[in-house]
Amino acid sequence: MSKLQRILNSREARKLFRDKIAVVALVLIAGYLLIALLLMCGVLPPKAYADVVGPSNSRGLFLSENAEKRYEIARTAMLGKVKRALQREDVEVALDEVHLGWLRVAEKPPEELKSIVEESLELQRQLKAFERLDDDPDAKALLTAFEQKTNQLVAPLSGADYFMHNAALLLGTDAQGRSILFRALYSIKVAIQIGVVTALVCVLIGALLGSAAGYFGGWVDYVVVWLYTTFSSIPNLVLLVIIAYAFTTSGSDAKDTLLPVYIAFCATFWIGTCRVVRGETLKLKQMEYVQAAKTAGFGSFRVLFRHILPNTSHLMLINFSLLLIGAIKSEVILSYLGLGVKGQPSWGLMIRDAGNNGDVMTGFFWQIGTATAFMFVLVLAFNILSDALQDAFDPKHL
Amino acid sequence: MALLEVENLVKHFPVRGGLMNRVIKQVHAVNGVSFSVDKGEIVGIVGESGCGKSTLGKLIVRLLEATAGAVKFDGHDITHSSPSALLPFRRRMQMIFQDPHASLNPRMTVGAAVREVLAFHQIAARGELNTKLDELFTQVGVNTDSKEKYPHEFSGGQKQRVGIARALAVNPEFIIADEPVSALDVSIQAQVLNVLMDLKAEFNLTMLFISHDLKVIDHFCDRMLVMYLGFVVEEMPCQDIHADALHPYTRALLGANPVSDPDKRSELTVLEGEVPSPYNPPQGCPFATRCDLVTDQCRQEMPPLVELDAGHRVACWEVNKTPEPITAAEV
Amino acid sequence: MTTSEALLTVNNLSVGFHTDRGDVTAIEDVSFEVRAGEILGIVGESGCGKSVTSRSIMRLLPKRNSFIGPQSEIQFDGHNLAHADERTMRSIRGDRIAMIFQEPMTALNPVFTIGWQLDEALKYHTTLDKSQRHQRAIEMLKAVEIPNPELRYHEYPHQLSGGMRQRVVIAMALCCDPELLIADEPTTALDVTIQAQILRLMDQLRRKTKTAVVLITHDLGVIAQICDRVIVMYAGQIVETAAVRSLFKRPQHPYTKALLESIPKTGREQHQTRLPTIEGIVPSLFELPAGCRFQDRCEFRQQQCVDQEPQLGEEVDGRKVRCFFPLSEA
Repeated sequence: MSKLQRILNSREARKLFRDKIAVVALVLIAGYLLIALLLMCGVLPPKAYADVVGPSNSRGLFLSENAEKRYEIARTAMLGKVKRALQREDVEVALDEVHLGWLRVAEKPPEELKSIVEESLELQRQLKAFERLDDDPDAKALLTAFEQKTNQLVAPLSGADYFMHNAALLLGTDAQGRSILFRALYSIKVAIQIGVVTALVCVLIGALLGSAAGYFGGWVDYVVVWLYTTFSSIPNLVLLVIIAYAFTTSGSDAKDTLLPVYIAFCATFWIGTCRVVRGETLKLKQMEYVQAAKTAGFGSFRVLFRHILPNTSHLMLINFSLLLIGAIKSEVILSYLGLGVKGQPSWGLMIRDAGNNGDVMTGFFWQIGTATAFMFVLVLAFNILSDALQDAFDPKHL
Repeated sequence: MALLEVENLVKHFPVRGGLMNRVIKQVHAVNGVSFSVDKGEIVGIVGESGCGKSTLGKLIVRLLEATAGAVKFDGHDITHSSPSALLPFRRRMQMIFQDPHASLNPRMTVGAAVREVLAFHQIAARGELNTKLDELFTQVGVNTDSKEKYPHEFSGGQKQRVGIARALAVNPEFIIADEPVSALDVSIQAQVLNVLMDLKAEFNLTMLFISHDLKVIDHFCDRMLVMYLGFVVEEMPCQDIHADALHPYTRALLGANPVSDPDKRSELTVLEGEVPSPYNPPQGCPFATRCDLVTDQCRQEMPPLVELDAGHRVACWEVNKTPEPITAAEV
Repeated sequence: MTTSEALLTVNNLSVGFHTDRGDVTAIEDVSFEVRAGEILGIVGESGCGKSVTSRSIMRLLPKRNSFIGPQSEIQFDGHNLAHADERTMRSIRGDRIAMIFQEPMTALNPVFTIGWQLDEALKYHTTLDKSQRHQRAIEMLKAVEIPNPELRYHEYPHQLSGGMRQRVVIAMALCCDPELLIADEPTTALDVTIQAQILRLMDQLRRKTKTAVVLITHDLGVIAQICDRVIVMYAGQIVETAAVRSLFKRPQHPYTKALLESIPKTGREQHQTRLPTIEGIVPSLFELPAGCRFQDRCEFRQQQCVDQEPQLGEEVDGRKVRCFFPLSEA
């Protein structure tokens, strides 16, 4: 039987898979991980989440825009850009440069484009005469004509581009016209990356320090316990803010990477794991198989790494899952405070943007809604999984 | 010739407490125990929980550090040897543990557990590990097909056999068995005792057999030490303990042991009271608080272990005084 | 003795568990009776179903993953406890049938004094007022031979030794004068000298109070010391039941005989001889053989034992045996 088969066949795994909700959570997490992995492989071009892909604050394909907004979109999207390009010396080059996300200028001679622009501007002037666009049927008809006219400026999309364009606009855009869906998706990658790296490093540090403290006792134990009691007596978030702030203001090269976030998290998150592994080691140290290993003459490191640490693996697994969630949630908070992720999308940044621009107040809830929903599902799934893992490893729980 | 000599071994466990985490009291686990084990002999140590018998075993294999006294193995004092100096003795001296469920690493197959010892001590070359393993498993009666199974797939008796195989892997001369059959069912207990008896005969092993069960000690050992509250109160051959036992505590243990014969019900003698706290052992004889024969002398002075017959030593003022040892009237 | 004296009659009791390897029957076709004032011993090795039997009488098995067979009957004073509802059980548990366990510490709440806990039990099961309850609690502590009961009344469980704790647990179990006491390995965690004290105490108490006792143990010595009748269980079934003296003198089931022989004997003759053993191990409840469950380990096995499953025979001289070829008196 292979190792994997053995793990899948173990009592714990069977207990875990019997828990239907846990299986659903596992599937969701697998989905998130897959997205994160694909994004890390560069499936999504940077322009998809970083560039302007459409008009600002559009409401996406699920909700219809009101007439004012439609007018605004048609007026600003392509019309203005083409108009400006046509005024330049090197018309051909300028027209070629014009783009909005995946949209490009239709391949028509500049004269034809010019006439379309002028006709559009004429329609725009007529529309300006109306006080209110929404209630007036005449205005509505005129608006539709205006939209159709401006659309003639745009080259028709096909295949992948068409798909990407619609996907980008599916859940609307933010104040800068960036795709909310793609930003939320890309945030998965950032969140998972921070979560996994932090959890891995912290579990490793915690397990090593904890088991060493428990096993060797004496001054090693003294130092480790002193270290974690000191660290845990500082309010967690405050410490994170201080460390992150130090990096933000230092102007170092690390400013735009995730490094400050990693350092801030790893400095405090190892404590929980360290504590439980130390406790478990104190218990395991008394186990007879550990004493048997000592009487066999094995050195401390062999006893520690072959006979004690492997038997704390269930704790490491549970703590990994808990830490991952903790790191993701803290990342969102730090980013919201402007001390976390820089130069990449993050749910925290999205929520912060939505709040800062007062978008939520004006009924534009897509951005904050999407970011929250993505985060909520992931956190919930991981919480359910952590609970299920704890139950699965609890011998008293049938 | 004595393979193991224990001289005045003492172990106190400090109990810390209070604000400054100072040592506030000492648990007197082992109080000046001396004995020796000859080559090829099985010596039993019997006593109730807390009498220090397990601590004594752990002191001898250096799982614990002695507070005072000396442990000599084959003439070498190993009481304070460094781990590297101890290594050759580790190869000659092994331990079998009580709880078969706790004595094997749950994350290692039973084969891997024994192979690890074989490889570490270079008992067998890499290619011959499995041959040697099969040999060991056959000796203790474990199916060689189940080498790659994990401990939880075995019954208690089988696990205990694996534990014995692991101890035998280094070809030791001396084995300390700490309650090796206490956690097993009666029928399995007999199987494991037989295995130990066969191995003893085959390899001329010397054994220190620790147990709370007087029946097992009596059946299995050549000689036994009876411990009470960290002291050896009686040391005697195991030929016929019912007739020979002299110390009131040994006699009480014998009397309290239920006999599997409904007709001998009336003979169950009940020792009143309980073992005193090992924090503050009473001055004088440790057994004075529960003893029928107690006198003022017992309460004030610890009786020395006095040799009455060859190999029969008793620490009791009253017994040592009596010219005629108590007869087997109550047996 | 006739069945009319029976205090508790167990008929066809079978109990199973849902496990992740499927359902498994832990005990099957267990039938016996307990008569007023007697000590009935149930003996067997781990996994034989002796604890499951006692727990199903008290209905203490987890509801979620255990089930009692529909034909099972546990008759106690007109109630069928096998299928009684929780309310009926509450009126019987503790009040009329009490239970004590192997580890006394788990039966006592560490944050309350033993006096408080005795008082609580009395408050729940009796109508005594406060001073009467205190008096009764002290009486009970005296009855179980606890020295200085007034002092001990105010102490916490951790201040007592293991033997003292077990005495307190017995006092709590007996404070409502139950008709039946179920003791599940009550002395296994104790030293022999303390075990002797507790066994003597239980014997005295049942003579004084006429409480019937079901004593569950793996130790044949304990059975020999204190029981009147014995049930021997193996792999979830009763294999033999008899009065204690005849069982020890003339075991009829090969398992009983082998079990008795495998106990180390004291004395010069058998010193350092090989012990007779029962080879092999108890079959897994998941892979029970067809035919007799003891067949693989039995030295008297015949073809019939492999082909057919023996039933517990008719009562002869107060004993029953589940074997096609019961051992004769030789």
